Amino acid sequence: MFFNSYSLALSLISLISLLLIMVACRTAFRVLRYWEPASDSNTQIQLEGEIWLSSALVKYGLALQIVSLLVFILSADHFCQVIAGAMCATGSLTANDYGIPALVVKLAGVFVYGFWLVVHQLDIRSEEYPLVRFKFIYLLCLFPLLLADSGLQTMYLAGLKPDIITSCCGVIFENGGGTTSNLLAGVDQGNTLLVFYLIVLLLFFLGGMGLWLRNNIFSALYGLGIVFFFGLALLTITTVMSSYIYAMPFHKCPFCIIKPEYNHIGLFIYASLIIATFSGLTQLLLPLARRPAVSRSVASFRRFFLVVSLVFLLVFGVLASYHYLLYMLKGGEY
Amino acid sequence: MLIELRAVTKIYNRDRPNEVVALKEVDLAIEEGAMFCLRGPSGSGKSTLLAIIGCIFPPTKGRAMIAGKQLARLPDRFLTLHRRRAIGFIFQQFNILPKLSVIENAALPLLPLGVSPRSRREKADRLLEQLGIIHRRDFPAEQISGGELQRLAIARALINDQPIILADEPTAHLDSRLSLDFMEIMSGLKEAGKTIVITSHDPLVADHPAIDRIVEVYDGEIHVF
Amino acid sequence: MKVLLEKHLNILDFALSTIWRRKQKNISIFVVFSAVIFLLASFQMLTRSLTSLAQDTLKETPEILVQKLSAGRQTGLPVVYSDGLTGIFGIKKVVPRIWGYYFSEVTGANLTVMGLDFSEMPMADQIDLTLEEGRYPEKGEAGVVVGRQVEEVLQLGGRTTISLFRPDLSLKGFTVTGRFADEASLLTGDLLVTGLKEARDLFALPRDQVTDLCVYVANPREISTIAAKISDIFPDTRVLTRSQILKTYQVVFNWRSGFGSICLLTALAAFIIMAWDKASGMSAEERKEMGILKVLGWETSDLMALRFWEGVVVSVLAFITGCTLAFIHIVFFQAALFRPVLLGWSVIQPPLQLLPEFSLADLLLIFSVTVLPYLAATVIPAWRCASVPSDTALQG
Repeated sequence: MFFNSYSLALSLISLISLLLIMVACRTAFRVLRYWEPASDSNTQIQLEGEIWLSSALVKYGLALQIVSLLVFILSADHFCQVIAGAMCATGSLTANDYGIPALVVKLAGVFVYGFWLVVHQLDIRSEEYPLVRFKFIYLLCLFPLLLADSGLQTMYLAGLKPDIITSCCGVIFENGGGTTSNLLAGVDQGNTLLVFYLIVLLLFFLGGMGLWLRNNIFSALYGLGIVFFFGLALLTITTVMSSYIYAMPFHKCPFCIIKPEYNHIGLFIYASLIIATFSGLTQLLLPLARRPAVSRSVASFRRFFLVVSLVFLLVFGVLASYHYLLYMLKGGEY
Repeated sequence: MLIELRAVTKIYNRDRPNEVVALKEVDLAIEEGAMFCLRGPSGSGKSTLLAIIGCIFPPTKGRAMIAGKQLARLPDRFLTLHRRRAIGFIFQQFNILPKLSVIENAALPLLPLGVSPRSRREKADRLLEQLGIIHRRDFPAEQISGGELQRLAIARALINDQPIILADEPTAHLDSRLSLDFMEIMSGLKEAGKTIVITSHDPLVADHPAIDRIVEVYDGEIHVF
Repeated sequence: MKVLLEKHLNILDFALSTIWRRKQKNISIFVVFSAVIFLLASFQMLTRSLTSLAQDTLKETPEILVQKLSAGRQTGLPVVYSDGLTGIFGIKKVVPRIWGYYFSEVTGANLTVMGLDFSEMPMADQIDLTLEEGRYPEKGEAGVVVGRQVEEVLQLGGRTTISLFRPDLSLKGFTVTGRFADEASLLTGDLLVTGLKEARDLFALPRDQVTDLCVYVANPREISTIAAKISDIFPDTRVLTRSQILKTYQVVFNWRSGFGSICLLTALAAFIIMAWDKASGMSAEERKEMGILKVLGWETSDLMALRFWEGVVVSVLAFITGCTLAFIHIVFFQAALFRPVLLGWSVIQPPLQLLPEFSLADLLLIFSVTVLPYLAATVIPAWRCASVPSDTALQG
C-alpha cells in the first residue's frame, strides 16, 4: 500500500535518513583509517572538521527517527480505516508479520541514535578526543540498523492489503475469549498495578540513593531497573491505564491514547517514559565509555542523566496514573 | 610570560610538492603587559606568526604557550574555545559587519557564550562609553566614520575582557591623526595590564613610545629589537 | 543547561538578523517553498475532508447490503431471500431495493435510479425530513425524488414531470415530488429515488427479483457476526458491510491522493535541489563573515547552528503560510485546482462544502515531507560554510 500520503512520507523519511547516515559512515571509514591525533596534516585537520558534520548528521538522524516513529504510528491508525477488520492502529500493525518488528526497530533506533550523541558530547569535552574510534565504530553500526528499519517498514507497507481481515484491538487485548491468540491473556490488573507502583517506588529509592550517596552501584541498579520497568510500563498502560483513559473497559490499546480525541495524552506519556528510560539506561552505558581523559565528564553526565530520569519518571507516573486515580477517587470505588 | 614560543615551526602542505615552511624555529617571549610590534614584508611569515599567537592554528613543531595553554596538537574546537577567552582581535580594515548596529557588532563575541541580551547590552554600553562612541550605539556600522569604526573594533576586541589584544595592520587605512589616536588607546590598554601585539609597517606605530619591542620577521625567522 | 539555551536563543536572534540582511535569497526560497507546501497541503486536506464528508454522509445508510453474484457479477436477487433472514437474531429490518444506471443520451449523463418501499424504511415517519423540499412518493404513485444536479442535467426548470425510457424504448412518466439537500450531493447528486414497483417497471426486472437487500442491524457490534451468518445461509450472495463501503471510498481517495502526491513530489525534489544550491553558494562577503565570526570565537558547531536556525525560520514560516493558503484554497475556493483528480470526471459535478479538519497527523505528515527534507538538504552545505578556515578573516 504505497500509493498514499503516509506511505510516501515514511518512505521519504527513510530515504533521507539512509542518505545522511551513508555520508556519516564515509567519515567514519576515513576517521578509522586516517586518524592521527599527533599530526597537523591537511587530512587530520579535515577529519577534525568532519566530526562536526557527523554529529550534525546523527542529530538529524535522531530527529528523523522520532518523526518516523510518530508518523508510523499515525499511519497505522490511518490504515485501520481501509484495512477490513482493523479497528485501530493495533489491527493495522498486526495485519502482517512486519508491523510490530518495524515499530520495535524504530523505537530502538531512537535509543541508539541518542546514545551516540551522548558519547559524542563526552568525547568532545576532552582535548584528546579519546572516544573517537569507539564513536565511529558505533556509527558504522547505525547503518545496518537503518537498513533493517527501512526494510521492515517497506515489507510492512508492501504487505498491507486493504481487504484482508485482521484482528482488532478488542480481540487482542480483551481478557479471555476470542478465537485469535490473546497476546496479553491472563494478565491480572490488580497485580500488574501493584508491581508497577512498587517498581516505581523502588526506582525512586535507588535513584535517590545514587544521587545522595554518589554511589555508582545504586545508579547501575537503577539502570537495570528502568530497563525492566520500560516493558512493565508498556504492559500496564495497555492492560490497565488505557481503558481508564478511553473510559471503556474493553478497549485496551496502547496506540489510541495518542489520538486527538484523548488530547494526545499518549504522546506525553510515551515521551516521558522514553526520556526516563533513555536517561536511566545511560547509567549502564556510560561506564563503557570511561577513559581516563573523560572520567570526570562521565561522572557529571551520570548525575545529570539520573536527575533527568527521575524527573521524567515522576512525570510519567503522574500522567499515566491520572485517569485511573481520577476514576477511583471520583467514580465511587472508594 | 604570557606568550611563549620555543622553536616554533609551521609548515603548510607538509610532504607535498607545494610544501612551504612559513616559520623556522622561532623563539619569542612576550611578558604580560608588554606591547610588541611585528614587522615584515608579505610572505615573510608575519601573518603565520600572528595566527599562531592568536590561537588560530597550532605550530607544526615546537612549543607555543599562549595565556597558559599549550597549543601543540590542540584540536580546532579547543583552539577556538581558548581564543574566545584569551585573544581579542582587531583586524585589518576592522572587518565590522556593516548592516549590524554598533552595539550589535561590539557584542558579537558574546553570543556563543550564552550571555543574556541584558548583560550583553550592559557590557557593550560600558565599553562604547569608555571609547567615546556611545552616542552612535544604535547606528548601522556602515554609517559611522573611520575613527568611530576603529573604536568599535577595539570595543569588540575587549568585550570579553581578554588579556591579549592582537591588531593586524590596524592603521593601514587611517590618516596620521587617527593612527595616533589608535596608539593612544592602545597605550591606555597597556597601562591597564593588557598584552598587545600589533603588526604594522606604519612608523607612527613602530616608533611610538609605548612599543616595548619590535620583532622583524623575514623569511620565516625573527629578530627582536 | 541554561547557558546552552541562552546560546541558542542568541544564535537564533542573530539568524533572524542574517535572514533580514540577505532578504533576496531568503524571500525567493520562502515563496517557492510556500508554493510547494501549498500544493502538498491542499492535496492532503482535500483527501481528509472528502473522507470526512463521505463518512458523515454514509452514517445513516444500511449496516449490511446483500447482493447476489453469478459468475462473479451482480445479478438479480430473489426477493424470497429476505424471508430467509428473518430467523437471524439482531436484524431490525430488511428492505428490498432495486437500483441501476440510467444513461441519458441527450445529456451524456449517467443517472442512478433507486427504488424501494419507503414505508419499510427505519424511521419511515421522519423520512421526508431528509429532503430539501417536497416528500417521498406514496406507495403506488409514480413519483420520484431527484438530486439538484439531476434537475439541472434533465433541464427540468419549473417542470414537475419527467419521462425516462424503458429498455423497450417505451416512455415511463414520473412526477417529481421532492428534491435532495445540496449537502448530500456527494451521494445524491446523480440520484433519482422512486418506489420499488416503479423502478422494477422502468428497468423491466422480473417480479420476484430485486438488486439488493438493505439489512438494518440494531447493535453495531453485531454487524460482522450477522454478516457472517447471512453469508453462511446464502453462500451465493455478496454481503457488504457499511464499513467496507466506507473503506472502499477511502482506498480510492487515498490512492488518488497518493498518486497526486507523487506528481507533486517532483516539484518538491526540484525545490530541494534549488535549496541545496542556494545553501551551498557562499558569496565572498558571506565567506568573510564566517571567517570573522570564527576568529571572534564562534565554533564550527555554532556556525552550523546559525545556518540551522536560518533554515528553520524560513521553512517554518513557509510551512505556516503554505498550510494557511491551502486551507483557504479548500474552504473558500473548494479546492478548484485539484478536484478533478480526486473526484474523477463526470457530467455531474456535485457542489461540496469542504471543511478540512486540522489534525496533528496531517500537519506532521506535511511537515515531514517538506520541512524535514529541506533542513536535511541544508546540513552538508551548512557544514561546508561553517568550515571556512579561521585565517580567512586575517587575509586583508
